[in-house]
Amino acid sequence: MSDELIQIETPFAFNEENQRAFDALIGRYPVKEAAMLPTLHLAQRQAGYITPAVMKYVAEQLEVSVMKVKDVVTFYPMFFEEPVGEYVIRVCHTLPCALQDCQVVLEHLKEKLGTDVASETNLAKGTTADSKFTLMKVECLASCDVAPVIMINDDLYKNLTPEKVDEILDNL
Amino acid sequence: MAEEKRILYEHLDVPDINTFDVFRQYDGYTRFEKAIAEYQPEDIAKMVMDSGLKGRGGAGFSTGLKWSFVPKDIKPCYLCCNADESEPGTFSNRYVLEKNPHLLIEGILICCYAMGIETTYVYIRGEFTLGKKMLDAAIKEAYEKGYLGKDVRGTGLNIDIYTHPGAGAYICGEETGLIESLEGKRGQPRNKPPFPAVEGVFGKPTVVQNVETLCNLPFIVGNGVEWYTQMGPTYADTRSDPPTPDPNTGTKLYCISGDVNEPGVYELELGLTSTELIEVAGGLRGEEVKAVIPGGSSAPILTHYELDTRLDFTSLTLAKSMLGSGGIIVMNETRNIVDCLLNIMKFYAHESCGQCTPCRWGTPWVRDIVQRIADGNGRKSTITRPKFGVAENGRWGDTGETEEIYEDLDLLESVANNIANVDTMTWNTICVFGIAVSWPAVSYMRKFRPEFEAAIREGKLVTLSVAEATVPPEENYAYQQRFVPKEFADL
Ligand SMILES: Cc1cc2nc3c(=O)[nH]c(=O)nc-3n(C[C@H](O)[C@H](O)[C@H](O)COP(=O)(O)O)c2cc1C
Ligand code: SF4
Ligand code: FES
Repeated sequence: MSDELIQIETPFAFNEENQRAFDALIGRYPVKEAAMLPTLHLAQRQAGYITPAVMKYVAEQLEVSVMKVKDVVTFYPMFFEEPVGEYVIRVCHTLPCALQDCQVVLEHLKEKLGTDVASETNLAKGTTADSKFTLMKVECLASCDVAPVIMINDDLYKNLTPEKVDEILDNL
Repeated sequence: MAEEKRILYEHLDVPDINTFDVFRQYDGYTRFEKAIAEYQPEDIAKMVMDSGLKGRGGAGFSTGLKWSFVPKDIKPCYLCCNADESEPGTFSNRYVLEKNPHLLIEGILICCYAMGIETTYVYIRGEFTLGKKMLDAAIKEAYEKGYLGKDVRGTGLNIDIYTHPGAGAYICGEETGLIESLEGKRGQPRNKPPFPAVEGVFGKPTVVQNVETLCNLPFIVGNGVEWYTQMGPTYADTRSDPPTPDPNTGTKLYCISGDVNEPGVYELELGLTSTELIEVAGGLRGEEVKAVIPGGSSAPILTHYELDTRLDFTSLTLAKSMLGSGGIIVMNETRNIVDCLLNIMKFYAHESCGQCTPCRWGTPWVRDIVQRIADGNGRKSTITRPKFGVAENGRWGDTGETEEIYEDLDLLESVANNIANVDTMTWNTICVFGIAVSWPAVSYMRKFRPEFEAAIREGKLVTLSVAEATVPPEENYAYQQRFVPKEFADL
């Protein structure tokens, strides 16, 4: 991906706080490239999702090609290349959660939010019209003892039932 | 009833144990201090070897032996702590990170001292935001108190710990995938050899160790090898003459989920049976145990005939399964095994890293076959085999006998075995993810074949009773290695 091909709508640069965090990160590794994942996490937190401008900026900071950044971004499910809602709801649907009826929770969320479930290549499908929520399925969140579980942004919610889901969404 | 033996988890629920001061009140860092005051690094490595500690992350490889492969003359050497915990059914590392992070730091310090390591990366899965926050705070405190950084406690040791977040890919739990990911690339596993112990992260020798494994170290050093080896069974490995001891020492953080009344993490000595463990976890929810997955979703399933198999490394290997990560998933009589397999195969199809053709294509193919069976479109045919014998008319010839062939089940086994062959234990892939796919696929199908056949025959999922669904051990080779490797034959 050469510079001409990238349409940069909004240029990206770290804000002051993230710049400090980035500077601290870079000293931890013998090669700059190794800071890729934490840097992308910082950037995604600031920009909302990984835009071409973000990739270009990260590539410059880590002194690697834009293609290399793109390569990494496409591999990891936690990096989004499309806009997502203010709240990203991750519903675990692996076996232990499935044994505790996670399907009921998922169906309830679909109905309540009035949206489908996002797929990795189509996040818009799971995003509500007001861009408030994005609903997606994820694999085991390592909390099977308190299944079924969901994560809303950084927070884990346990032992869910449709009633509890209502309560949680009302309190957001 | 088997009793919990809390060692790693003993102080887990003490309020504020995540702070340095409270941790210190409960012997915190005294084991590390003992290590540096009383022992040379080689002594610690020898203690770990003698303790028989086996890796708790999945492979169950002897920790002492792994350390002995690390070349002493190449520096720097790195420690990567594997806190990626993504194996479905496993959740013990999470509690260590969230509640007692200083214990992990002490374990890391002991490992660093023994191996002359200065830099540790803790690879934490991206979803563990709270765990990472707690560990980061504990690391900060440890720096302030002089247990990390330059010249630790005036010993001249320099030790740094950094946390590194993953981003949602299961395969980054595999040690070489973890290393690639740590280097800032896609988490695609590397060919072995070279093993990470010789050439790991940044091309340097690297020790990769699970959180739970490292948390054992303070107790081995603090209480001594003799105390440690009293816990758990030690078998005699008769593959050598004279037999060598095969230790399954210590405790295990068993994670139990599924159909039990009180799911959770139970720390017990290695070597209890599934029946005992279910009892400890508040008993079965339901009438009967249909199946137990003993070591995370990658492990071959156990039937109700196998509930007295001891849940330790050796016994489960001999039962043709594995202890893996210690994630135990219990299923009662209401569960449909085809449905369970479908769930697991969707997981693997999603998580294949895509490097090797058999895994990239085979795993979704297996998923599709199971999906087809679950949807009621499983393929079967009734064929007329030419079978020679005395026919109806009393003459010698083709008897015209018919046989039902469940094509999709043969196909399932064939595709799975071509990713990794569970009978010969050979695989056509770079990493053992392949075997983690074919192990469940083939074992579920062979051990619960009637349920698969019923789904194909009836054109819909049919949940049979436990007795009907399970193939008894004497009728099925799934329970035994079809080609028993010679060295295992008389173990
Ligand atoms: C597909 C796959 C996934 C794995 N996931 C994990 C994991 O999430 N956590 C872990 O500690 N080990 C995991 N392992 C095992 C590691 O490769 C490695 O054996 C382990 O981290 C070594 O540490 P130990 O000797 O302390 O167990 C996985 C292995 C494979 C093949
Ligand atoms: S076996 Fe599968 S997961 Fe492992 S390296 Fe090959 S493609 Fe990737
Ligand atoms: S399966 Fe949902 S947390 Fe493990």
